[in-house]
Amino acid sequence: MKRRIPGLLPAVTGAALIAAWYAAIRLFHLAPYVLPSPGAILEAGWRERHTLALSALITGEGALLGFLAAVLGGFLLSGIMAFSFRLKESLYPYILILQMTPVIILAPIFVLWFGQGLPSIVAITFMICFFPIVANTTMGMISVDRNLQELLVLCRARRIQEIRYLRVPGAMPYFLTGMKIAGSLAPIGAITGDLLTGTAQNGVGGMGFMTILYFSQLKIPELFASGLVACLLGFLFVGGVNLVHWLVLRRWHDSLVKPG
Amino acid sequence: MSASPLVRLERVGKRFGAGPAVLAGLDLAVEAGEFVSFIGPSGCGKSTLLRLIAGLGAPTEGAISVAGRTPERAREELFFVFQDPTLLPWRRVAANVELPLLLRGEPADRRRERVRQMLALVGLEAAAGQFPWQLSGGMRMRASIARALSVAPRLLLLDEPFGALDEITRDQLNADLLAIRERDPFTACLVTHSVAEAVFLSSRVIVLAPNPGRVAATISVPFAYPRTAALRESPEFLERLAACAHALRGVIPS
Repeated sequence: MKRRIPGLLPAVTGAALIAAWYAAIRLFHLAPYVLPSPGAILEAGWRERHTLALSALITGEGALLGFLAAVLGGFLLSGIMAFSFRLKESLYPYILILQMTPVIILAPIFVLWFGQGLPSIVAITFMICFFPIVANTTMGMISVDRNLQELLVLCRARRIQEIRYLRVPGAMPYFLTGMKIAGSLAPIGAITGDLLTGTAQNGVGGMGFMTILYFSQLKIPELFASGLVACLLGFLFVGGVNLVHWLVLRRWHDSLVKPG
Repeated sequence: MSASPLVRLERVGKRFGAGPAVLAGLDLAVEAGEFVSFIGPSGCGKSTLLRLIAGLGAPTEGAISVAGRTPERAREELFFVFQDPTLLPWRRVAANVELPLLLRGEPADRRRERVRQMLALVGLEAAAGQFPWQLSGGMRMRASIARALSVAPRLLLLDEPFGALDEITRDQLNADLLAIRERDPFTACLVTHSVAEAVFLSSRVIVLAPNPGRVAATISVPFAYPRTAALRESPEFLERLAACAHALRGVIPS
């Protein structure tokens, strides 16, 4: 087999997509406010780079704080639920109810409680990120190999030791999977929060705020550019979680160790 | 009367839920210093029996005592070697061997010394810093045995520990287990599918019959310890082997 050049296939696909994009604009005579060209989007992004960077920073802050709160809170709650089956039975339905209630509806209540801007954005991001972490981590805490459980019984381990030495490390792959899902949702949560409760200073707000602003001014290339920035923000989060995944599991987990 | 046996089973029966009896009317005594093997066809309840002695589940009839107590209360006296090595994949070999000592609250310097001794005993010093996935099946089982012996149990329960290994590795580990026992004596109960393994290791082989599991025959194996691999080729050994195989043939349902 010939040696493959890494990244060649996605690069070819990307080039084809961009060509098709330009072709569609030409072919269907699309106006720039319907579908701006990739070049126009990059131009607009560069023109607005200071605004967009500040906007991404504002949204990133909300996303990061909400995400970290969900990671911490979700992990602790799963650990508590691992303590006893009854505790899990008692709490889990309410976690589900919380998850099933659309955040959009909760947003005004959060504004009422926490005020406009960052605190409400963090709360909304937290709500979106919390469930994937709790659901996955709890699954990990209860899916411990039966033999290993019996081993700890034979070692006369106390419940707290069982959780510390068996359930928490065993749940790590699940916890990290939950973190990956939550990480990809965090920027979406923060942007949604910003759309609903965001504020602006000197005409610059979070990415949700900028979306509304650009749209109302029919700055469509800028709108697309802000979408591109939001996408990069999402990659930053997922990349960060992937790094943590690698750091935690690289030595022992099947997903990362290479046999031989 | 001599001292009471280390393990005593009186009319022990076991059934799971409303199912048929897995074990029925078992009377059994294992004296300190014995090496007893249980052998029998699949489903004769030999693993269940071993688990009951370990206190992993309670008999539905009769009583079991280990060192004069119930198995649950005698946990510091015994340890169990599972069919799988049952190592924690995120702990290095030394940390796996250390685990029972750690959970019992032994001080760190004593743990370190004991782990070093145990790894030397099973010939795994060089693998101390490796993770379980980096070891061969035989090495993993050595680590599992080292972990079981780290707490110096009076009674070691072995549930088909070598069943998944190739014959050469298995014979090697059989010989090593006996060598370890010379240095660090323990009473052993072994469940196995291999007649040769049972005869080579044990002072007594108990043949179980199925449906429900009960003692069908007891064959004593009077060869002195330490035993070496050469024993396997002697006529006396082959004669014991034949006696066990004969008893086993009698309990296999046609």
